Amino acid sequence: MDWSSWWDTYSTLVLSIGVYGMLALSIYLTLSCGLLSLANAAFMGIGAYMSAIATLQFEWPFAFALFLGTVLPAAVAFLIGIPVLRLSGVYLAMATLGFGEVVRVVLLNLDITGGPLGLNGIPPLTTWWHVVLALALTVALLQALRRSRIGRAFEAIREDETAARLMGIATDRIKLLAFVLGAAIAGLAGGLNAHYTFTLSPGNFGFESAVDILTMAVLGGIQGVAGPLLGGAILTLLPELLRGLQEFRMAANGLILIAVVLFMPQGLWDPARFRRWRRSRGTRAEA
Amino acid sequence: MRTFLTSALLALSGFCCLSVASAGDIRIGLAEALTGPASQYGVPIRNGFLLAQEELNAKGGINGNRIVLVEEDERGKKEEAINVYKKLIYQDKVLMIFGPTLSNSMFAAGPIAEAAHVVAFGTSNTASGITDIGPYVFRSSPMEADVVPVTLKAAIKRLGLHKVGIIYGNDDAFTKSGYDVFRQALEAQHIRVVDTETYSKGDVDFKAQLTKLKAEAPDAIVCPCLAEEGANILIQARALGITVPFIGGNGFNTPKLLENAKTAAEGTIVGSPWFDGNPSPENQRFIAAYRKKFGSDPNQFSAQGYDALFIVAEALRKIHLTGQLAQDRQALRDALPAIQYAGATGRFAFRPAPLHNGKPGGYDADQTPFVYIVKNGKFALLK
Repeated sequence: MDWSSWWDTYSTLVLSIGVYGMLALSIYLTLSCGLLSLANAAFMGIGAYMSAIATLQFEWPFAFALFLGTVLPAAVAFLIGIPVLRLSGVYLAMATLGFGEVVRVVLLNLDITGGPLGLNGIPPLTTWWHVVLALALTVALLQALRRSRIGRAFEAIREDETAARLMGIATDRIKLLAFVLGAAIAGLAGGLNAHYTFTLSPGNFGFESAVDILTMAVLGGIQGVAGPLLGGAILTLLPELLRGLQEFRMAANGLILIAVVLFMPQGLWDPARFRRWRRSRGTRAEA
Repeated sequence: MRTFLTSALLALSGFCCLSVASAGDIRIGLAEALTGPASQYGVPIRNGFLLAQEELNAKGGINGNRIVLVEEDERGKKEEAINVYKKLIYQDKVLMIFGPTLSNSMFAAGPIAEAAHVVAFGTSNTASGITDIGPYVFRSSPMEADVVPVTLKAAIKRLGLHKVGIIYGNDDAFTKSGYDVFRQALEAQHIRVVDTETYSKGDVDFKAQLTKLKAEAPDAIVCPCLAEEGANILIQARALGITVPFIGGNGFNTPKLLENAKTAAEGTIVGSPWFDGNPSPENQRFIAAYRKKFGSDPNQFSAQGYDALFIVAEALRKIHLTGQLAQDRQALRDALPAIQYAGATGRFAFRPAPLHNGKPGGYDADQTPFVYIVKNGKFALLK
């Protein structure tokens, strides 16, 4: 099979791997700050709708549409983050889930979003380099953050928020920053997704996709940037790879997830485990 | 990670080269939701197609060439519908594609077929705007906008309606578009709407809305609902002492409604492209063959799938297949619009979709729907 027909067939799948990788990274960002936020699917929806409305109804340039799709969710995250981030743990998860439901109902009832019929005929503007560029920028940003003062602050807050506060870290502001950045990344991913799937409906961004995104990050592992990317790629590829199993493929999909969670609770990408493996191999070689 | 991706992608590409076609086979893609919530529609559609394929091939196929259906599950999700379409078009090199099951999936997958100049043929997509995608998009399912005015006209004649109440689900694409169409048709026929009530998908208690409707004393209640909620609405309305008949959309056209609502469904008027009591020999033969093959009763979706393969077979008989894929795909698309056929769903023809932003669209179904009424626990034609 030659390259061009391979690309024709699997281009959407490759784009999805990149976009879901970004979504997994967006939730990794809040998780790395100790926040269990399930609002990322809703932020993805806001970004997707915003950029689709920009290209479809106002015929603005794609770059500007993506910009709006990144900024609007970030602005919304800023507004709701101030009250919501006072919560932590499962309470934060519940509040953000509630926010997701509010977004879904708003999308259902606005005229500009097409109500329950959604938006159709969105122009096919997303190409591979848009996704590669967006993903590269996201990874670069997250890596830079990790090594910076702010990244250290994320880690300190995750390990012990009270201690972090006593050390002089402005925990409220740092948490808000993680939340807003996560929303921006998710919104950008949504804008890209809208322009290669051509259609949006409010149901695309509900509870199910919120949990999907969380699963990707947790499956891949949240010890670094590679984990969420790996998780996003696997959960996107798995249903296609298992196509040969027909009716049983979603069951096989679930079994694989259970097996991973049981035997690798830290996720697939776990540097500590890799080190252990290397060490044990090293001792065996010596003996 | 790179090695994982490479091997995964290699495995992906390996999967698709396994199926080997023998010469003379006509390969047609079938993308339906075979698992997930939408499979309640997708599986009956697939069964209809399998039956039609068996019958066509038993009679020697198309000029001696067998029809081979390449089935793929799209799970009712837009990304999967796109992936399946691309696989069928570029890997399996099918002549054309039937499906996907849901209108939303067609909005996602249709543009792929349009760009590749391959016919996308929906048998269950009723939303308006589907055929705006372009001239390669066909459907054999009449839009709600075609079925509802006919239903309403028959209901007015029978019941002498002056004022009606409406109850519908406002968070679902299917019920919302059904409502829009009903409202327009009611306006066109000068029927007053005294009250409009809404519910959400999955609701089970409708007594508050029905009590309000009852207070307005309408002549009938219009309910563009799916059967799941519809049956509950009927039962609770009768319990509240509402005796006026209900008028339903396409969603009411299922034996499930009668099973669940029992006597509460009595007098309900429904419009649909297919009627199991239609005595035409094509329909009765279809029902008997379906029962024999699958051991269950067919529904509207299986009938539409069954007919669709025969419609395409008619077109295939009219063209000469050269083995040049692009040329054959184009020839099929050019032959389809003129096909007329009488099958299990009655007389069928295509109708070009109106221009959309000055561009030509695809082809909608041009078919007169059946209107029937529930009488003694059974659907009977309304005359």
